[in-house]
Amino acid sequence: MLISRSLLAPAIGLALLFLQGCTAWQVNQIAGQLPALGAAEALQQLDKIDPPERDRAQFLLNRGTLKFYLGELPDARTDLAEAQRIMAALQATSMVENLASVSANETLRSYTGTPTDLVLVHVMLALTYLCQGDLDGARVEILQSQVEMQRLAKEDSSSGQLPSARFLAGMIYELNREWDNALISYRQAYGVLQQRGQPVPAALQDSLLLLTQRQGLKDEFEKLQKEFSRTPLAPSAGELFVIYFDGVVSSKSEARVSVVAGENAQFISVVVPTYHPSRHMTRPLTLQVNGGHIATQVIEDLEARARDDLADDMTRILATATTRAVAKYNMVNEAQNKSDMAGLIANLATVVSEQADVRSWNMLPASIQVARVSVPAGAQISIPHWAGAQDAPLQAAAQGRKAVLVLGELSAAPLGYPAAPAAAEPPSISTATSTSTDAGTSP
Amino acid sequence: MKKILIALMALLITACGTTVERVATDETIDLSGAWNDTDSRLVAQEMIQDALARPWIGEFTGRKGQRPAVIVGTVRNLSHEHINVKTFVADMERELVNSGRVDFVASRDERGEIRDERIDMDLNASEATRKAAGQELGADFMLIGQINTIIDVDSNEQVRYYQVDLTMVSMADNRKVWLGQKKIKKFVKNAKIRY
Repeated sequence: MLISRSLLAPAIGLALLFLQGCTAWQVNQIAGQLPALGAAEALQQLDKIDPPERDRAQFLLNRGTLKFYLGELPDARTDLAEAQRIMAALQATSMVENLASVSANETLRSYTGTPTDLVLVHVMLALTYLCQGDLDGARVEILQSQVEMQRLAKEDSSSGQLPSARFLAGMIYELNREWDNALISYRQAYGVLQQRGQPVPAALQDSLLLLTQRQGLKDEFEKLQKEFSRTPLAPSAGELFVIYFDGVVSSKSEARVSVVAGENAQFISVVVPTYHPSRHMTRPLTLQVNGGHIATQVIEDLEARARDDLADDMTRILATATTRAVAKYNMVNEAQNKSDMAGLIANLATVVSEQADVRSWNMLPASIQVARVSVPAGAQISIPHWAGAQDAPLQAAAQGRKAVLVLGELSAAPLGYPAAPAAAEPPSISTATSTSTDAGTSP
Repeated sequence: MKKILIALMALLITACGTTVERVATDETIDLSGAWNDTDSRLVAQEMIQDALARPWIGEFTGRKGQRPAVIVGTVRNLSHEHINVKTFVADMERELVNSGRVDFVASRDERGEIRDERIDMDLNASEATRKAAGQELGADFMLIGQINTIIDVDSNEQVRYYQVDLTMVSMADNRKVWLGQKKIKKFVKNAKIRY
């Protein structure tokens, strides 16, 4: 009886330590099956999880994303805005959580978001506002993303600097007819892509050429034209921006690594989060325009961003894990000296409590892709193999306005700006429009 | 010992529970540094005082022999925050109408509902109380404006600068007869350490 009582407290502690990591694994499992489950089923499964308060931001980010895919825009906005508010409030360092992460594991920290999360949440919110027809609301979010990127900016790193956020800012400024702000945002997107050595999508090239030409910046226009070896788009009043979410980003998993630590410089095994090499093959969305094809191109490789964020954080993670491992090693030794049973329990506690923090915003797409289509009246635009369709943006573009089409591989239906009337019937994507663009075209 | 323990428990429960304290509506409470009711009130007050002190009302009244009719157009939020501009526009409307020197006519959104009611009246109200179409008061001026912000941020410190610009435009000839401006600047320092 005495033994069972003495074991009760550690047993409960062990159970709690074990359970704390369960939510993350459950979420990761749903994220891993997301392409097969679809957004609706994944949302149902996610809603069955009751996350601990410290995982709430991650939970809301994922749930908001699924609701966005399903076109539940007001609810998506509520979740994403709440996640953003929580992450902003948690940016200060917590002494208690630091202590817990050193003594037990990293999952005891609140999920505060990676640099990419902190910016991308504003991108998602901006798209949510935009697809609800609230251009000013979308503009607020892109301004907030810019403040966040300014806060995260470092001289020696492009962490948290997202070309997709800059491109979206440029697009929203253009919709607002703020040409100078739009050009600055496109330049910033170009700058980050150059810094990372990544290809510049045709949509961004065209945007830079169009805006420098429009603002009469002849030298910059000629310089860019030479760099891109590209004929500028024919000026046209009607234009269609396409934002495409491709695939699902990878989830983190655990890896065991050995580090040299302790007074005797012994090898100690620690558990850290890792990403397996991505097997995702980037797939563009193809639009048929007057018999030709225009494919979206990657502006944000979120697989790469997720891995970069983890790599940037790895020094801190390893240092904490090593300190923790040494402390646990010493604790087990001390317990062992007292009694075999105490040593066994302590050993068990250290093994069970050692969990890597595998939480992430893992229901995001693997990449964000863009296209920009110039639309003079009279052409035919269609999206092959797309069952659902929304032609409000296409109609608007055909009528000489700038419009945005937002699609995801997991979307229930395309979204866009101008937003379709709430009671509108699902229309055919084919519309009487024409194009003169050669952006990302293939014959 | 038992009593102390109960008292401590009670204190702990109280500390964890939600507390509500009623405060005066004009009391300034800054929590996050974002735009709040105090900013909205300050902007409205400043704008009202300024609008009533300028010569456009007197000039119009002297020329036409009647109070100017004003309609609220679009006040755009071009700031970094989701600001409800309707609160200070409503404050301004109320104060200007209560001053007895300006009439406000229903905005575009409000007119639709009123016109629907008038159509309904045509069918259902008695002849004596029915209101005819085509008798609306046309606006002499339109109030338009925008809120802009400049935010500078470094680590956990922010300087937030708000500028609210309102313009009264003559409907007859597009003349700008009044320009109101209010600036607010805040220095926000977020905590580096939390519990």
